[in-house]
This record gives sequence, C-alpha cells and structure tokens, in this order.
Amino acid sequence: MSRPAWVRLDNASNIFLAARSDSDPKVFRLSAEMDAPVGPDVLQEALDATFDRFPLYHAVLRQGLFWHYLQDSDLRPQVQPDVLPSCSALYFPGEAALMFRVVHRENRIALEVFHALSDGTGALWFLTELLVDYCRRREAEPGPAMVPEAAAASGPTVAPAPSSAPGHGLSADSFGSYFRRRRVPKPPSRDSAMARAFGEAAASSLQAADTAAMPAAPDAPEAAEPRRSGVLRARGTRTPDARTHAIELSMPAKQVIALAKSEGASLSMYLVALFFESVRATATGRGARAGSGDGPGAHRTLAVSVPVNLRQFFPSDSARNFFATVRLAHTYGEGDDSLAAVAADLEEQFRPRIAPEALGERLRRLIRLEQMPLLRILPWPVKDAALSAANHLTNRGLTIAISNMGRVVLPEPAEAHVRRMYLQVSAARPQFCSMSHGETLTISFTSPFVEADHVRAFARHLTAHGVKVQVAANRVREDELAQVHA
Amino acid sequence: MSGAAAHGSPVRSANGAGGDASALRCEACRVALEGEWSVCPLCAGPVAGRGVSPSPFSDPPLAYSRRRVLQVLFLVSLALIGGSFAAQLFFRPQIDGIGPLRSVWLGIAAMWLVVLMAVRRRRTIARGIFYLMVITSAVCVYWDYLTGWHGWALAYAVPIVFSCAILGVVLLALLFRADRGAHVVFSWITVLLGLLPVAFFAFGWTVQAIPSVICGAIAVIAVVLLQVLRGQELHHELERTIHV
Repeated sequence: MSRPAWVRLDNASNIFLAARSDSDPKVFRLSAEMDAPVGPDVLQEALDATFDRFPLYHAVLRQGLFWHYLQDSDLRPQVQPDVLPSCSALYFPGEAALMFRVVHRENRIALEVFHALSDGTGALWFLTELLVDYCRRREAEPGPAMVPEAAAASGPTVAPAPSSAPGHGLSADSFGSYFRRRRVPKPPSRDSAMARAFGEAAASSLQAADTAAMPAAPDAPEAAEPRRSGVLRARGTRTPDARTHAIELSMPAKQVIALAKSEGASLSMYLVALFFESVRATATGRGARAGSGDGPGAHRTLAVSVPVNLRQFFPSDSARNFFATVRLAHTYGEGDDSLAAVAADLEEQFRPRIAPEALGERLRRLIRLEQMPLLRILPWPVKDAALSAANHLTNRGLTIAISNMGRVVLPEPAEAHVRRMYLQVSAARPQFCSMSHGETLTISFTSPFVEADHVRAFARHLTAHGVKVQVAANRVREDELAQVHA
Repeated sequence: MSGAAAHGSPVRSANGAGGDASALRCEACRVALEGEWSVCPLCAGPVAGRGVSPSPFSDPPLAYSRRRVLQVLFLVSLALIGGSFAAQLFFRPQIDGIGPLRSVWLGIAAMWLVVLMAVRRRRTIARGIFYLMVITSAVCVYWDYLTGWHGWALAYAVPIVFSCAILGVVLLALLFRADRGAHVVFSWITVLLGLLPVAFFAFGWTVQAIPSVICGAIAVIAVVLLQVLRGQELHHELERTIHV
C-alpha cells in the first residue's frame, strides 16, 4: 500500500468526538451469549477473517486542521479477555489505535465500538459475520465442541447484514452518497420521494441526524423543542472512577410484548413510558435538590431521545453512522398519565416525526449548515467546541435516552449457538438499550450514576405483572469493589 | 432493526430468563440474579439462594476514586493556602522586596481559597455565601494587619463584603423556590452579621462611618424583607433546628 486511503469524518460522527467525556466515552457494546465457553483461539481466527472483509474497521482516527479523518491502517485486532469496565474508552487523541475491540468472558463475545466509527446497525453486521465465522470454525473442530442443539428450529432466518461487502469500506458514507452537493443518486428502492427530501441537502445532516443514530446518540441539536427548562433531569452520585453503571434485565420477550399489547402500546413506547414512570417515581426526594429545583414537582416534563435508523428509508449497506434522533416528551399532570396514555402520547408524537418528509426537513437544515463555506474553514477545535456546546444544550432538554435494536435473527450456524444478545452504551444520562434474540428480550440500563432506583422501579413493575426477570449488574461502588478484590 | 418501534414483530415464545428455583433471588424485587451478590443490586435488600451463574461482568478494581482524588486535592490545597498565610508572619512589612511579592502571593492564595470554598459549597448556596463572606473578610483583616494596620479592612473591605453577601441572600430568598428551608438559617446569620460593621464604628475601631452605616442600613432593610417574605419559614426551620 503506497498511500493509505483516507476519508473525512462526517459531522455526524464528529459530534461523538465533541461530546465525549470521561464518564461517557461514546462507546457501545454489542454482545452475544454463546451456548458454550468461548474459545479465544478460534475467536481470533474468526476475527482475522471478518476483519479482512470490513476495511472500515481497519481505520484509525487522525486530526487534520479543519476535520478529523479516518485513515486506513495496517493494525490488526487482538481478541482480549474482558477485563476492562464495560464500554471503556477506545479513542485517545493522538494515539493511532483501532476504534473497536473484541473481548470475551465465559460464554460471551462482545464487540465494543467507538461511535464515531459506526452505529449499532453497522456494528451488528460486523458482529454477525464474526459470530457466523466463529460458529462455523467451532463446528468444524473435532471433538464435542459445539452441538447445535436447536439447529432444527424453524422460523425465519433473516441475516441482518449483507454479507459480502461493498459498503464495508472506508468511503461508504451514506450521508455523503445520498446528500452531498446535490448529486443525488437514485435510491435503490421504492421511496425515492423520501430520498429526495433528504437529498437536496448535503452531507452534514449527518451531524445531527446521524449523530443520533444508534446507541449512544449524542443528541444532535433539534429544531424547535418546547420548554426545555421544565424538563426533569435525573441526578445522582457519579461512579467513583467514571465507569458506566450497567444493569441487564433479561426476560421472555413474549411476556413483555403481551403486557405492552394489553396497554394498547407498541413495545418500544411501552418501555419508554415505563422508564418515564420509573424515573419520575424515584426522582422525588433524592432527585429534588436544593437550589436546582429538580423535583418532579417543578419539572413535570420528561423527554427521551430515540434514534432512528435511516437505512430503513435510504437503503444503504455502509457500516458508517447513518441515523437520526427524535426527541419525544410527555408533560405529567395535564391529563391522563397512565402508562397506556403516555405510550399513546409518545407514539402519536413519534409517527409523524419519522415520516420521511419530517426527517428530510430537519436533515436539510443541518446539511445546509455544515456546507456553509465559512463554517467549513473553521479549525476543528472550534467546530468541536460549537458541537459540544450544542450537545450540552440538547442534553439539558433530555431526561433519558433509549435505543431499541428490535429482534435480531442471525444466519446459521450462529443462530443455533447464540442465546441472549445485548446492546449497551456508555451514557451521559440514564439510558436503556433493548434487543431481542430467540425468545429473550434484554434491556440493558446504563447510567453514569451509582444509584439504580429507576431500574428497581422498572423491574418491579415488570415482575409485579408476571414477567420473569433475570438481573445482572456490574459493581460500581467503592465498598462493593473493595469487597470483591479484598 | 430500525431504531425504535421496530419491535412489533412476534417473538417466539418462552423463556431463557428465569433460572432454576434455588438460584439467587431478591424476593422484594422478585428477580433472579446472575453472579454472586450479598445484597440485591437493585434495592440493596437481602437475597436468597445460591449464585449459580457467573456474573457476565469482570468488575475490575477502581482505576482511581474520584472521591479520594478530590479529598487529596482539597487537603493539599488547604495546606498550601494555610502555609501561605502563615508564612507571611515571618516577613516584616518593612523588608524590601517582599511587599509586591506578598501581594501577588496572598492574592493567589486568597483566590484559591475562595474558589475552593465556592466549589465545595456550591449546592448549599446560603451557606456558601456565608462562608465566602467570612473568609474574604478574614483575609482582608489579616492582610491589613500584615501590611501595618492602616484600618482599610474594617473601614471599607468588611462592610462592602458584608453588604454584597446580604444582597446575595436577599436575592436567594426572592428567586429560589426550591427547598427554601435549607437557606433560611444561614441567610439570617448573614444578614444579622451585617449589623457588625456598625459596631466597629461604635467601638471606635474605625473612623469611617459611611461604609459601616450603609452596610447597617442594608442589613436592616434585609431583616424587614426577610421577615415579611420568609418569616414563617424561619420559624419552622428554627423549630426543627433547635428542637431538643
């Protein structure tokens, strides 16, 4: 390779750089629980093979004068035992390192990705290929390695990712290919009108739009949101060394879906409504701090940031960030505040906001901004400062964030060997990510705070309604950790 | 796998969660627990059963402790500031060269102290204002003493600092709605101390009447305002505070 390939980091991804902090390094983790302990050597072989098919993942992040850019590298990833806290930082300015890691512990394989590189969907593609390759190699091994117990199970086998890889390269920036400089390539699918709505604008929508996309949406600035000042913000004691507090709930998906249905709500909105209620119930007292007036009495509005995968509107096989966020809010005390009513209110706000026209309108505005020549010639530290300030403002209007990956079905032979799957993100505020695989729904709560009161309220509501919930959590308090390491 | 709401699809039924009956459980939360826990990670209540499944988290030891780092920084700061103030006693005001140096040195130490107190007391505003008032005044008086006691501290600096503090707590009483009770005691102490500069003048410690009188007048107005606006709250707060 004479000269390494490189590509400018789109603004969407840039916001992850700007919004990064000690407690929220903008890293997310996708993990899969296997039916047998993980073999590191086989995993390394599978990783090597998968890595070769995803040039994007070869990239390191470098600083230019006006932008950051992704540059191809000769680095190779090493499978590591999972010894760091979940979602630990992956990017350190000035250090040319890969922006992802693959770790294993007991039965679990986890892929951690710096959000500037890829979003949840892109990462799921990588993990899917890794798992398929790993399972093939394990099955080919002599001996009792893995017996596909459920191989005969029927059901749809939907690979979530295109497997051969035109879009897995460095330059496949979907924002760019759809929107930059009015070169609007025909979207490969049905809704070209929708695409055009975005299309006129340029690549920068990414910034806000794409930013929001998958897990850790750093909350792109959004237009015209009402009454940010009255929004309840969760407070708490920060963890002693800024590690993410992670609590995983796993439960039979069917039971929760039935519960949501009984309230007349979709699963996502039901979970958000329940999260709202849990935060609200537990913010009283402790959350109401002198001077800042955080009690739910003063702040009756709760707001959530929800990422939307743009690939569903603009077919793309790029593994780079391609999402937008939508902010939904509910003000309590102005009518029916039952779970069903809150879920219905959120659903009502959500539907029109993810209409292609609405998304396009927002993206167009953002793209116009990014394309302004005056802004383009600002050095990146200035851009970062502006993005960081915008992010800070957006944060003030948010109580929680969520991300729902939906139901994942892996290609065989992975499907038969993978049990639960999890998505976790480093979090600047209480957050949950849900996904389901097989018959199990997992909801991973993450938070920068030691307190878990909202998770307790959430779990107790579910168990009180007959849902079987299993809990795993990491330890974050100084005394707990001292006990473990005594 | 769209963002939200992609989840309408039916899911094959059953379980995968739940575990066997003897597994570790929290009965209050009615959840099964993975890993070894002596108390429930959700409610800190008692758990029953034995941990059968390993925790999926590695829980590495703390990289550092934010609390300890802050504690050490605070103590080191206090030592340096205290040392700086104490060291001044070794210099006489007349020694050539230490004059301007002392101003810079004391200025930095005083600013550091003020910032430290402001940050530490940022959540209890009235108490913070009170501490700042006392610290700033004390530093001024000490400084005046070190430089040969010209009387500027008691005549001007203390009344001005006290006046500002009183304005601060009055604004606090007017503007802050949340948890007023917590502010009320220190607000009253601050305001009543505002009458002190008048005493300086009465005792003949200073001959400059105007700053002391202005400060006293502000204090009296503040007393009236607080009594009218927040008298009730003081009553309740005192009832709790000095309850025996």
